[in-house]
Parts: sequence; C-alpha cells; structure tokens
Amino acid sequence: MSATEETVKDIIVKIVHCDREVLTPTATFQDMKADSLDMVQVLVALEDEFGIEIPDEDAQKFQNFGDFITYVDAKVAEKGNA
Amino acid sequence: MDKQPVVVTGMGVICPLGLNVKEFWAGLAAGKSGINYITCFDASNYQVKVAGEVNGFDPTKFMDIKTVERTRRPTHFAMAVVQEAMESARLDMSQEQAERVGVVTTNMLECELIAEGWETLQKRGPRKVDPLFFTKSSPSVISLHIGMFLGAKGPNTSVNSLCASGADAIGTALNFIRLGYADVMIAGGSDASLGAMTVAAIGRLGALSPEPDPDKACRPFDLNRNGFIYGEGAGLVILETYEHAKRRGAPILAELAGAGWTYDAHNITAPHPDAEAIAMRTALQNAGVKPEEVDYINAHGTSTKLNDISETNAIKMAFGDRAYRIPISSSKSMFGHLITAGGAVESIGVVLTIMNGIIPPTIHYETPDPECDLDYVPNVARPAEVNVCLKDSFGLGGQNCCLVFKRFKGE
Repeated sequence: MSATEETVKDIIVKIVHCDREVLTPTATFQDMKADSLDMVQVLVALEDEFGIEIPDEDAQKFQNFGDFITYVDAKVAEKGNA
Repeated sequence: MDKQPVVVTGMGVICPLGLNVKEFWAGLAAGKSGINYITCFDASNYQVKVAGEVNGFDPTKFMDIKTVERTRRPTHFAMAVVQEAMESARLDMSQEQAERVGVVTTNMLECELIAEGWETLQKRGPRKVDPLFFTKSSPSVISLHIGMFLGAKGPNTSVNSLCASGADAIGTALNFIRLGYADVMIAGGSDASLGAMTVAAIGRLGALSPEPDPDKACRPFDLNRNGFIYGEGAGLVILETYEHAKRRGAPILAELAGAGWTYDAHNITAPHPDAEAIAMRTALQNAGVKPEEVDYINAHGTSTKLNDISETNAIKMAFGDRAYRIPISSSKSMFGHLITAGGAVESIGVVLTIMNGIIPPTIHYETPDPECDLDYVPNVARPAEVNVCLKDSFGLGGQNCCLVFKRFKGE
C-alpha cells in the first residue's frame, strides 16, 4: 500500500465519514456514500495536501477510489519531473 | 381577520442558564447568573471581559456528524431546541398535514464566516472558496434545516430586526396562523454571533458593558448600569390554533394573544420611547387586552443607559400611572443579550412565568436610578398569579416588536 493511498484515505474518511475498509480500489462514490459536496471538499483537500491542481474536467472522470490514487500519483510524479 | 386563539404547545431552549427548558427555568426562578469570563475567543486586548456563553453543548447528540460539519453553531443550537420543542408539544409530523406546518426563525449575520471566506478568496483564489459559503451564511439557514428535518412544507421564512428578531419571528408566525396559511408554526431564533468580530464592533459602539466582574454583570435599570452583556442561545416555540391543539390533545401552555410592531424612525443607535409605547399599545389592542389587565412586563431591559430610560418612559406613556404598579423585570440580567434569539428565549421565560406563578427578578440591582423609577422586581423572584404578560423587544436601529401572552382560559 502506497503512502499516497494512506493519505488519500485519511482525507476521504475525515470528510466523507465513511469506514476506512470501504475504500478499496474499486469503491465508487456510492459505496463511500459521498455526495457532490463531499467530492468538492475532497478535491480541495487533495490539492492542498499534495500541492497539485485538479482541473474540474479531470475530476469528472474519477469513477472510484483507485482513480484518485492513480491520478494523484501521476500528478505528483509530473510535478517532481518538472 | 379571524382571531381564533393561538396557543403555545411546546418550547425548547438553550442559553447560558442551561441546555433545556427545565434548567432554564430553574436558573430564572432562582435569579441565577449565566454570565462568565469570555472563553470563546482571546479577549485579553478587549475592554469587554465577560459574556453569556453556552457551555457543554454537543451538537452530535442532535444531528449526524456530516450535517454538523456543514452547518454553523446557530443551526446546531436550533436543531437541538426544535427537538425539545417538538417533544414537549408531543407533535408527531406523521400525523400532520405537512403543508399546514410552517417555520419562521431568525439568526444573526455570520460575520466571521464571511470574513474567513473573503480572506480565502483573496489569498487562495475563487477555486478554494467553500462551496457551502452561501448555505452556511444565509439568514434563511435555520428555517431551512428545521423544515427539512421535520418535513414541514408550509410557510418557511426568516425575519430580522436585530435585537427584536426573536419576538418578531414569533409575532410573524402568529400572523401566518391567523391569516390561515398554517395550523402549526415553529417560531423563534438562534444566535451564536458572540465572537471576536461582533464584540469588537458592538464594543466600539459603546453598547457593551466593560464590567470585568461576572458577578456584577449586567445591571438593567440600576443607576450604575454601563451596557449590555453579549450572549448566545436559541429558543423555539410551537404555536398552533386552539382547535388544532385541542383535536390532538396537545398540552396548552399559554395563549399568544397578540403582537405589535413599530419603527422609531429616529436614530440608528439611540432608542425613542414614542414608538416603543405605540408598539406596546398596538400589541395590547391586537390581543384584545386592556392596559389595566397586564400584570407583568418582561422588559427588553438591555442595561444600556439609553435603552432602560427609554423603555421606562415608554411604559409610562403606554400605561400611565399604572406603570408604577406593574412588576417589570429584565431576564437579560441573568443570561445577557442573545441578540436575534433574545426575544424568543425571553418569550419562553414569559410562558414559564405564567405557568409557574413566579416572576423572575432583575438581578444585580443595587442602586435606584431616578430616571428608572418603576418596580423592576429587584434581585429576588416574586410569587404572583400572572394572567397577562407583555413582552418588549426593541431592535438596534429602532425596530420594535411587543408580544402579549395570556394564561389560556378556554374558548
């Protein structure tokens, strides 16, 4: 389990108040019982935590928890290479 | 207009004297003070040192955690208080026609949320602004959450007349019932605006007491009064037509017999007795009550130099010589000024006064003021049969609302 994954879990659990165990890679927003406002808050928290920017058009493609991890890892790597 | 009796069947309170009606009344009847040193912000460089804070309140007992995080303290208070009020009225929404149950509340400007939001916008840009900024700071927020929680689909609105707001909300709700829009109204206010910004601003205005000793603050109608004490809290009443209350076998606590409104049109910070007196007389007329029938006045009684003289003069104008024979007391002496919620919480004190036959005192009263020479029920509660009570509420800026509560004596 990557450090990114743990941090993203921390953020989602704090904002969405879902059980940590729910957050498997295939867990959807419905599984998390998250609504659109939760997601807006999660995205802002991720941006702040990782020092990245997540444009709305990218965020709209997220389907499940795994997508967050993949996206954040890629953004953080991109930032490191820049 | 059909003036069928409108009765109070339920009440809920949170204030510096306690977290429910029982604790509230125990404090009022004992002449207890809920004022203490300010802890909700660092007041070390403020002239004002004491306030009426609500301590030991846990909103998660009344709302799920996500709703707690998405709302502010006034909504937290209101959600707790509405549950107490509904329980005491034994009002079961599953038995009610949802469109016939409405809500009128009031709350104060969310100064600090607005300041924080602006700072975020300036420092971090529009993408970082809280998407709930609007719903958290809107003056309609309490009515929305109460209506949502209860599934009450009747009239749902909010009023504001600053310090008169709580009474204003109750009077407005009375009119919704009288005009036929609802059978049941939930009405009152919730205010948690006590904070660094508001105390600084009202302090600059010179309206707050600099009294450093919580055992001496505040002193309405006393010669040495020097301003009001900022407080926080919430009060809601359940109002319904007598017919509706009777049909469902509800507890009838008192009758809300009338309301009267006026505006000073005088000065943005100084009160004027003329319009206050007319508000009193209008409320009595609206209630079908003669001035000589009033046996208790629950004063606005802020403890500012100007309010207490103006109110005293207004009572004399409205009641003539009889003003000297009516017991008058200020509950603010015990829990401070709850701003927009004050008139609602104090109205609940009035209903309890009628129910219990005890007039709560004006505490901290030591030195009579020649300009405030009426009977202010100093320091000790007074047993008395109270059948008709006038509740005064005067908003900063000159908006006045008075209510008349009566012991309910049947049809």
